[in-house]
Amino acid sequence: MTESLRVIVAGGGTVGLRTAELLDDRGHDVVLIERDPDRSERVAAEYVASIIEGDAARPAVLRQAQPDRCDAVAAVTDDEATNFAVCMAAQRMAEIRTVMRIDGDPDELYPQYVDGIVSTASLTARVTVNEVVGGGVRSIEEVGGRVEILDIEIAEDAPAAGKTLAEVRLPEGSLIIVDADGNRIGGPETVLEPGERFLVAVEGAVTDEVMNLLRG
Amino acid sequence: MSHAGERSPAATLTLLDATMVGIGAMIGAGIFVLTGLAVETAGPAAILVFALNGGVTTFTALSYAELASAIPRNGGGYAYVREVFSAPVAFVMGWTRWFTYMIAGALYALGFASNFIEFGHIFGVSLPGGVLFWAGSVVVAFVTLNAVSTAASGSAETLITLVKILILLVFVAFGLQFVDLGEFEPFFRRGNPLTVLPAMGLTFIAFQGYDLIATVTEEVEDPERNIPRAILLSVATTVVVYLLVVFVALGTLGAEGLAGAGETAIAQAAEGFMPRFEPLGSGAALIAFGAVFSTISALNAVVIGSSRVAFAMGREAQLPVALGRLHHRFGTPLVAIAASAVVMLVAVAVVPIRVVGNLASLFSLLGFVIVNLSVIRLRRQQPDLRRPFEVPFYPAPPVLGIVLNLLLGAFIDLTTWALAVGWLVVGAVVYLLLSRRRGEPAVPTGEPETEISDPEVTVPTED
Repeated sequence: MTESLRVIVAGGGTVGLRTAELLDDRGHDVVLIERDPDRSERVAAEYVASIIEGDAARPAVLRQAQPDRCDAVAAVTDDEATNFAVCMAAQRMAEIRTVMRIDGDPDELYPQYVDGIVSTASLTARVTVNEVVGGGVRSIEEVGGRVEILDIEIAEDAPAAGKTLAEVRLPEGSLIIVDADGNRIGGPETVLEPGERFLVAVEGAVTDEVMNLLRG
Repeated sequence: MSHAGERSPAATLTLLDATMVGIGAMIGAGIFVLTGLAVETAGPAAILVFALNGGVTTFTALSYAELASAIPRNGGGYAYVREVFSAPVAFVMGWTRWFTYMIAGALYALGFASNFIEFGHIFGVSLPGGVLFWAGSVVVAFVTLNAVSTAASGSAETLITLVKILILLVFVAFGLQFVDLGEFEPFFRRGNPLTVLPAMGLTFIAFQGYDLIATVTEEVEDPERNIPRAILLSVATTVVVYLLVVFVALGTLGAEGLAGAGETAIAQAAEGFMPRFEPLGSGAALIAFGAVFSTISALNAVVIGSSRVAFAMGREAQLPVALGRLHHRFGTPLVAIAASAVVMLVAVAVVPIRVVGNLASLFSLLGFVIVNLSVIRLRRQQPDLRRPFEVPFYPAPPVLGIVLNLLLGAFIDLTTWALAVGWLVVGAVVYLLLSRRRGEPAVPTGEPETEISDPEVTVPTED
């Protein structure tokens, strides 16, 4: 699809700038709101977004970004309350998808109010674990509640190595979705060749069991 | 999965390159093709025509500079207007800009053909085929080139433009000694100063190339600073070069001679006083060479410009989406380029050069009115928008830009207006058909603002 989105990014810090860059790379239009003149100058130099200079939590400022013409708002300042306020205000101004950044533990009621929540803490933790543990297992994404998608390489001496899925009993709460090349959906005849990678959906409670079977 | 539609060009153009993109398009054809036509209409006051047009253009150039510094989008004037106005207004802007580039392309192709044949004459070669044949061929050649390759190399364009400027400066340097100020009497044709106005409308297209800089913004280094500079620098340089060349041409060949020479006026003026340049031969050959060279590079620039506008509109689904796709192998907006080529060829084949020039000028004027309006509206709508470049003495320049552009438009003849209206009607039909297919109301009912009642605010007062 070449259709481009129009996105408001509130916050021009490292996260906001990077978000704007990635969106621009994909051909979307970005309006960025940043309060601090020095930071807005830094973003302006990148030439990836038009910039409204002001406090995004102020409706008079937010309105200048024209939420009624936008597809989504990403509130990614380092202040959770500001982000929440931006999302709420944008929703009242227009029908718009809202995404907010949180740094600490999320308020459990957020999902009722905003469409997407980005937890910098758990993102950082996940990436950190990926880097620490190394190549064998990578966490791809947290789907929502407790399910994680993992990219797992079958280890040489793992219990399940060389077996078909019909022979292996994976714990309830786990599912081999597809091999990591994206070529084959896992089925009973799928052979778990050592060295091959698979995408596995796992509920948190059985993660270690799955690891044991596939990694040894 | 590869996302061919998301390929984006690298930032490789320096300030010099970006400036030359603008100068390349402006000095390209206007100076060689339009000088004779302007003199025919206004007499020696043609020099005043170019000076005034340069002034009028500067107001709009300031507006472009402000918009380009604040809105980082490829697509030129269309992209800025899209940011500020509702979809139908942006459509009109894009539709007319697209047409302007295509018409300008036709004009440059015709200018190329006349000068190419003249170039042949100078060497005693009678080229087969007429003006139409060569104009059509050069369009096909450049469209094909642009269709199969994205490498619109900035440095090659820069070199070509520098050579053009150099040739013209050589012309000026030799010619200045032979200028006879008596040729400027009487200054106004038939003693009537008003003849300047229609001549201004006719030649206005000469100064519309700088907005090509705004169509390649994402390829410029340090764009928020360099693009406004490049726009203003290219306009200033072009005006100076134009005035020098027209002064010399008028002062040597005289108004009558220039008017009679039409599209090859400058080359004929050069014949009078230029020494021989080996291996090119006479001065006229040098100028004809410059003209052939210039019209080609200007043609190349507008082929790129026209396809970028169609591409930008296709991506926003304001034109059929096929126009907004890159070709999977060539990586170029092939459909947009091909569509532009068809219109260019039709314009080359059926519309006389004077009408072609008028039509392109008229659409330029209308487009520039909308651009100036955009600056004013954006200042009101988004007062806190970061504007790395701001129009000085706001709001005088954009207001003057609007008034003067409309004034010049009023002096363009009725035939041209009729053709223009015709093209707008075609646009309206396309727009309505497309919006019906998208299942949207064609014309939004007013500003879609969500109503929020104002909360009561109690302002504490000091007693």
